[in-house]
Amino acid sequence: MEALNLDDAPPPQVLGQPPQQNQQLPPQMFTTAAQLLDLTDKKLMVSLRDGRKLIGVLRSWDQFANLVLQQTIERIFVPSLSPSEPGLFADVPRGIFLVRGENVTLLGEIDLDKDDDTPTGYERADVEVVHRLWRERKGREAKRERGRRARLLREVGFEGEVLGEGG
Amino acid sequence: MFLYLYRAQLTIAQQLPLGLLTAAQGHPMLVELKNGETLNGHLVTCDTWMNLTLKEVVQTSPDGDKFFRLPEVYVKGNNIKYLRVPDEIIDLVKDQQQRDQGGGGGGYRGGRGGAARGDHRGGDRGRGGRGGGRGRGRGRGN
Repeated sequence: MEALNLDDAPPPQVLGQPPQQNQQLPPQMFTTAAQLLDLTDKKLMVSLRDGRKLIGVLRSWDQFANLVLQQTIERIFVPSLSPSEPGLFADVPRGIFLVRGENVTLLGEIDLDKDDDTPTGYERADVEVVHRLWRERKGREAKRERGRRARLLREVGFEGEVLGEGG
Repeated sequence: MFLYLYRAQLTIAQQLPLGLLTAAQGHPMLVELKNGETLNGHLVTCDTWMNLTLKEVVQTSPDGDKFFRLPEVYVKGNNIKYLRVPDEIIDLVKDQQQRDQGGGGGGYRGGRGGAARGDHRGGDRGRGGRGGGRGRGRGRGN
Protein backbone atom coordinates (compact mmCIF):
# COMPACT_ATOMS: atom_id res chain seq x y z
CA MET A 1 0.00 0.00 0.00
CA GLU A 2 1.11 3.55 -0.59
CA ALA A 3 2.39 5.24 2.50
CA LEU A 4 -0.18 8.00 2.57
CA ASN A 5 -1.07 9.65 5.81
CA LEU A 6 -3.36 12.24 7.26
CA ASP A 7 -0.76 15.00 6.97
CA ASP A 8 -0.44 14.72 3.21
CA ALA A 9 -1.59 17.68 1.21
CA PRO A 10 -4.95 17.16 -0.46
CA PRO A 11 -4.87 16.38 -4.18
CA PRO A 12 -4.75 19.43 -6.46
CA GLN A 13 -8.18 20.73 -7.33
CA VAL A 14 -9.01 21.54 -10.93
CA LEU A 15 -10.96 24.73 -11.31
CA GLY A 16 -14.52 24.36 -12.36
CA GLN A 17 -14.68 20.72 -11.30
CA PRO A 18 -16.01 19.23 -8.10
CA PRO A 19 -13.30 18.15 -5.69
CA GLN A 20 -11.93 14.71 -6.45
CA GLN A 21 -11.30 13.99 -2.78
CA ASN A 22 -13.49 10.91 -2.79
CA GLN A 23 -11.22 9.13 -5.20
CA GLN A 24 -8.04 9.97 -3.38
CA LEU A 25 -8.55 9.10 0.26
CA PRO A 26 -6.54 6.00 1.04
CA PRO A 27 -8.39 3.32 2.97
CA GLN A 28 -5.81 3.11 5.72
CA MET A 29 -6.81 6.60 6.82
CA PHE A 30 -9.93 5.09 8.26
CA THR A 31 -10.39 2.29 10.65
CA THR A 32 -12.82 -0.60 10.57
CA ALA A 33 -15.19 0.34 7.78
CA ALA A 34 -12.80 1.25 4.99
CA GLN A 35 -10.31 -1.43 5.92
CA LEU A 36 -12.94 -4.13 5.81
CA LEU A 37 -14.37 -2.72 2.61
CA ASP A 38 -10.98 -3.26 1.06
CA LEU A 39 -10.82 -6.83 2.35
CA THR A 40 -14.30 -7.89 1.22
CA ASP A 41 -14.24 -11.03 -0.94
CA LYS A 42 -10.57 -11.58 -0.10
CA LYS A 43 -9.10 -14.54 1.72
CA LEU A 44 -8.31 -13.60 5.30
CA MET A 45 -6.79 -15.02 8.40
CA VAL A 46 -8.81 -14.04 11.43
CA SER A 47 -7.41 -14.50 14.91
CA LEU A 48 -9.92 -14.76 17.73
CA ARG A 49 -9.52 -13.85 21.38
CA ASP A 50 -9.50 -17.50 22.40
CA GLY A 51 -6.49 -18.12 20.15
CA ARG A 52 -8.35 -19.73 17.25
CA LYS A 53 -7.11 -19.01 13.76
CA LEU A 54 -9.74 -18.96 11.04
CA ILE A 55 -8.95 -18.76 7.35
CA GLY A 56 -11.78 -17.91 5.01
CA VAL A 57 -13.20 -15.54 2.43
CA LEU A 58 -14.75 -12.40 3.92
CA ARG A 59 -18.23 -12.05 2.43
CA SER A 60 -19.88 -9.54 4.67
CA TRP A 61 -19.40 -7.37 7.73
CA ASP A 62 -21.08 -4.56 9.63
CA GLN A 63 -20.28 -1.61 11.86
CA PHE A 64 -19.41 -3.89 14.79
CA ALA A 65 -16.92 -5.83 12.66
CA ASN A 66 -19.17 -8.86 12.84
CA LEU A 67 -17.81 -10.94 10.00
CA VAL A 68 -19.20 -13.54 7.63
CA LEU A 69 -16.52 -15.92 6.44
CA GLN A 70 -17.14 -18.48 3.72
CA GLN A 71 -15.18 -21.65 2.96
CA THR A 72 -13.60 -21.26 6.36
CA ILE A 73 -10.95 -23.57 7.68
CA GLU A 74 -9.72 -23.57 11.24
CA ARG A 75 -5.97 -23.97 11.45
CA ILE A 76 -4.82 -25.53 14.69
CA PHE A 77 -1.21 -24.96 15.71
CA VAL A 78 0.71 -26.91 18.29
CA PRO A 79 4.16 -25.43 18.96
CA SER A 80 6.89 -27.99 19.50
CA LEU A 81 8.26 -28.68 22.96
CA SER A 82 11.89 -28.72 21.85
CA PRO A 83 13.55 -26.15 19.60
CA SER A 84 15.01 -28.84 17.32
CA GLU A 85 11.63 -30.20 16.24
CA PRO A 86 9.08 -28.35 14.16
CA GLY A 87 5.65 -27.57 15.56
CA LEU A 88 2.59 -29.17 14.00
CA PHE A 89 -0.51 -27.77 12.41
CA ALA A 90 -3.68 -29.08 10.80
CA ASP A 91 -6.61 -27.61 8.90
CA VAL A 92 -10.21 -28.41 9.75
CA PRO A 93 -12.91 -27.41 7.24
CA ARG A 94 -15.61 -25.42 9.00
CA GLY A 95 -17.83 -23.86 6.31
CA ILE A 96 -19.59 -20.58 6.99
CA PHE A 97 -18.76 -18.58 10.09
CA LEU A 98 -20.50 -15.57 11.53
CA VAL A 99 -17.99 -14.17 13.98
CA ARG A 100 -19.17 -11.63 16.52
CA GLY A 101 -16.84 -8.65 16.14
CA GLU A 102 -15.89 -8.38 19.80
CA ASN A 103 -14.04 -11.67 19.62
CA VAL A 104 -11.70 -10.72 16.81
CA THR A 105 -8.19 -9.72 17.82
CA LEU A 106 -6.72 -9.26 14.37
CA LEU A 107 -7.27 -10.09 10.76
CA GLY A 108 -5.30 -9.75 7.58
CA GLU A 109 -5.41 -10.60 3.92
CA ILE A 110 -3.56 -13.72 2.84
CA ASP A 111 -0.96 -13.43 0.12
CA LEU A 112 -2.32 -16.01 -2.32
CA ASP A 113 1.13 -16.59 -3.79
CA LYS A 114 2.34 -17.78 -0.42
CA ASP A 115 -0.89 -19.40 0.66
CA ASP A 116 0.30 -22.93 -0.09
CA ASP A 117 3.61 -22.54 1.75
CA THR A 118 3.93 -24.25 5.10
CA PRO A 119 4.34 -21.77 7.95
CA THR A 120 7.98 -21.58 9.05
CA GLY A 121 8.77 -23.79 12.01
CA TYR A 122 5.68 -25.93 11.47
CA GLU A 123 4.79 -29.12 9.64
CA ARG A 124 1.41 -30.26 8.49
CA ALA A 125 0.15 -33.26 10.41
CA ASP A 126 -2.94 -35.37 10.80
CA VAL A 127 -5.95 -33.56 12.27
CA GLU A 128 -6.54 -36.21 14.90
CA VAL A 129 -2.95 -36.07 16.08
CA VAL A 130 -2.82 -32.29 16.21
CA HIS A 131 -6.15 -32.12 17.99
CA ARG A 132 -5.01 -34.56 20.64
CA LEU A 133 -1.73 -32.70 21.20
CA TRP A 134 -3.60 -29.42 21.35
CA ARG A 135 -5.98 -30.71 24.02
CA GLU A 136 -3.09 -32.05 26.06
CA ARG A 137 -1.30 -28.76 25.81
CA LYS A 138 -4.40 -26.85 26.80
CA GLY A 139 -4.84 -29.10 29.82
CA ARG A 140 -1.27 -28.49 30.93
CA GLU A 141 -1.62 -24.75 30.49
CA ALA A 142 -4.86 -24.64 32.44
CA LYS A 143 -3.24 -26.57 35.27
CA ARG A 144 -0.24 -24.26 35.33
CA GLU A 145 -2.53 -21.23 35.31
CA ARG A 146 -4.51 -22.55 38.28
CA GLY A 147 -1.28 -23.09 40.21
CA ARG A 148 -0.02 -19.63 39.36
CA ARG A 149 -3.28 -18.03 40.38
CA ALA A 150 -3.33 -19.89 43.68
CA ARG A 151 0.25 -18.86 44.43
CA LEU A 152 -0.44 -15.21 43.65
CA LEU A 153 -3.53 -15.19 45.82
CA ARG A 154 -1.62 -16.83 48.67
CA GLU A 155 1.06 -14.19 48.38
CA VAL A 156 -1.47 -11.43 49.01
CA GLY A 157 -3.05 -13.25 51.92
CA PHE A 158 -5.93 -15.25 50.41
CA GLU A 159 -6.09 -18.78 51.68
CA GLY A 160 -8.63 -21.56 51.67
CA GLU A 161 -10.35 -24.28 49.75
CA VAL A 162 -12.16 -22.05 47.29
CA LEU A 163 -8.91 -20.36 46.32
CA GLY A 164 -9.22 -18.71 42.97
CA GLU A 165 -12.52 -20.38 42.15
CA GLY A 166 -15.31 -18.63 40.40
CA GLY A 167 -12.99 -15.97 39.06
CA MET B 1 -19.08 10.74 2.79
CA PHE B 2 -17.81 8.44 0.08
CA LEU B 3 -17.84 5.78 2.70
CA TYR B 4 -21.56 5.97 3.03
CA LEU B 5 -21.96 5.86 -0.72
CA TYR B 6 -19.95 2.69 -0.96
CA ARG B 7 -21.69 1.31 2.05
CA ALA B 8 -25.04 1.84 0.39
CA GLN B 9 -23.88 -0.07 -2.67
CA LEU B 10 -22.54 -2.76 -0.45
CA THR B 11 -25.81 -3.29 1.38
CA ILE B 12 -27.52 -3.72 -1.93
CA ALA B 13 -24.84 -6.01 -3.24
CA GLN B 14 -24.77 -8.26 -0.23
CA GLN B 15 -26.35 -9.19 3.02
CA LEU B 16 -25.13 -7.92 6.38
CA PRO B 17 -24.14 -10.54 8.94
CA LEU B 18 -27.34 -10.10 10.91
CA GLY B 19 -29.35 -10.34 7.70
CA LEU B 20 -27.75 -13.67 7.07
CA LEU B 21 -28.72 -14.73 10.55
CA THR B 22 -32.31 -13.68 9.96
CA ALA B 23 -32.31 -15.69 6.75
CA ALA B 24 -31.08 -18.69 8.71
CA GLN B 25 -34.19 -18.81 10.88
CA GLY B 26 -35.54 -22.32 11.07
CA HIS B 27 -32.20 -23.83 10.13
CA PRO B 28 -29.76 -25.79 12.27
CA MET B 29 -26.67 -24.00 13.52
CA LEU B 30 -23.88 -24.15 16.01
CA VAL B 31 -23.42 -21.29 18.44
CA GLU B 32 -20.25 -21.02 20.47
CA LEU B 33 -20.40 -18.77 23.52
CA LYS B 34 -17.54 -16.73 24.88
CA ASN B 35 -17.10 -19.18 27.74
CA GLY B 36 -16.49 -21.98 25.23
CA GLU B 37 -19.84 -23.72 25.60
CA THR B 38 -21.43 -24.73 22.32
CA LEU B 39 -25.10 -24.93 21.48
CA ASN B 40 -26.33 -27.03 18.59
CA GLY B 41 -29.89 -26.37 17.60
CA HIS B 42 -32.42 -24.87 15.23
CA LEU B 43 -32.68 -21.10 15.17
CA VAL B 44 -36.17 -19.91 16.03
CA THR B 45 -35.73 -16.15 16.15
CA CYS B 46 -33.03 -13.52 16.40
CA ASP B 47 -33.00 -9.76 16.79
CA THR B 48 -30.69 -6.86 16.00
CA TRP B 49 -28.69 -7.46 19.19
CA MET B 50 -27.97 -11.01 18.04
CA ASN B 51 -30.09 -12.37 20.88
CA LEU B 52 -31.31 -15.78 19.79
CA THR B 53 -33.80 -18.43 20.64
CA LEU B 54 -32.91 -21.95 19.65
CA LYS B 55 -34.94 -25.12 19.89
CA GLU B 56 -33.95 -28.78 20.19
CA VAL B 57 -30.57 -27.83 21.56
CA VAL B 58 -27.59 -29.93 22.55
CA GLN B 59 -25.40 -27.93 24.89
CA THR B 60 -21.75 -28.93 25.18
CA SER B 61 -19.49 -27.87 28.06
CA PRO B 62 -16.30 -25.91 27.26
CA ASP B 63 -14.14 -29.03 27.63
CA GLY B 64 -16.46 -30.95 25.35
CA ASP B 65 -17.01 -33.63 27.96
CA LYS B 66 -20.54 -32.91 29.17
CA PHE B 67 -23.69 -32.78 27.06
CA PHE B 68 -27.17 -31.53 27.88
CA ARG B 69 -30.28 -31.76 25.79
CA LEU B 70 -32.54 -28.73 26.11
CA PRO B 71 -35.88 -28.18 24.36
CA GLU B 72 -35.46 -24.42 24.09
CA VAL B 73 -32.68 -21.94 24.79
CA TYR B 74 -32.50 -18.16 24.85
CA VAL B 75 -29.04 -16.73 24.23
CA LYS B 76 -28.29 -13.11 25.03
CA GLY B 77 -26.33 -11.85 22.04
CA ASN B 78 -23.38 -10.45 23.94
CA ASN B 79 -22.35 -13.93 25.09
CA ILE B 80 -21.81 -15.21 21.56
CA LYS B 81 -18.35 -15.84 20.19
CA TYR B 82 -19.37 -17.08 16.78
CA LEU B 83 -22.06 -18.95 14.89
CA ARG B 84 -21.62 -21.61 12.28
CA VAL B 85 -24.40 -21.91 9.74
CA PRO B 86 -24.96 -24.47 6.98
CA ASP B 87 -23.52 -23.64 3.54
CA GLU B 88 -26.99 -23.59 1.97
CA ILE B 89 -27.83 -20.37 3.79
CA ILE B 90 -25.80 -18.32 1.33
CA ASP B 91 -27.93 -19.57 -1.57
CA LEU B 92 -31.02 -18.86 0.45
CA VAL B 93 -29.93 -15.29 1.05
CA LYS B 94 -29.15 -14.92 -2.63
CA ASP B 95 -32.64 -16.04 -3.60
CA GLN B 96 -34.19 -13.77 -1.04
CA GLN B 97 -32.25 -10.81 -2.40
CA GLN B 98 -33.18 -11.59 -5.96
CA ARG B 99 -36.81 -11.58 -4.89
CA ASP B 100 -36.32 -8.26 -3.11
CA GLN B 101 -34.66 -6.71 -6.13
CA GLY B 102 -36.93 -8.28 -8.71
CA GLY B 103 -34.33 -10.71 -9.95
CA GLY B 104 -31.63 -8.10 -10.28
CA GLY B 105 -28.45 -10.09 -9.73
CA GLY B 106 -26.41 -9.18 -6.69
CA GLY B 107 -25.95 -11.60 -3.88
CA TYR B 108 -22.79 -13.23 -2.74
CA ARG B 109 -20.19 -13.41 -5.38
CA GLY B 110 -18.00 -16.34 -6.06
CA GLY B 111 -20.60 -18.80 -4.97
CA ARG B 112 -19.76 -22.13 -3.51
CA GLY B 113 -17.21 -24.59 -4.66
CA GLY B 114 -15.06 -22.02 -6.39
CA ALA B 115 -11.63 -21.69 -4.88
CA ALA B 116 -10.83 -18.52 -3.01
CA ARG B 117 -7.93 -17.95 -5.33
CA GLY B 118 -8.55 -15.09 -7.68
CA ASP B 119 -11.99 -14.71 -6.27
CA HIS B 120 -12.06 -10.97 -6.15
CA ARG B 121 -14.57 -8.30 -6.85
CA GLY B 122 -14.30 -7.16 -10.44
CA GLY B 123 -12.90 -3.76 -11.20
CA ASP B 124 -11.69 -3.08 -7.67
CA ARG B 125 -14.55 -0.63 -7.37
CA GLY B 126 -13.00 1.73 -9.86
CA ARG B 127 -10.59 3.31 -7.47
CA GLY B 128 -7.42 4.37 -9.15
CA GLY B 129 -3.97 5.24 -8.00
CA ARG B 130 -3.38 2.34 -5.73
CA GLY B 131 -1.28 -0.76 -6.00
CA GLY B 132 -2.89 -3.75 -7.70
CA GLY B 133 -5.92 -5.43 -6.26
CA ARG B 134 -3.95 -8.40 -5.02
CA GLY B 135 -2.19 -8.14 -1.74
CA ARG B 136 1.33 -8.37 -3.01
CA GLY B 137 4.12 -6.50 -4.65
CA ARG B 138 3.49 -3.31 -2.82
CA GLY B 139 6.63 -1.76 -1.39
CA ARG B 140 6.64 -1.18 2.31
CA GLY B 141 6.62 2.40 3.43
CA ASN B 142 7.72 4.19 0.31
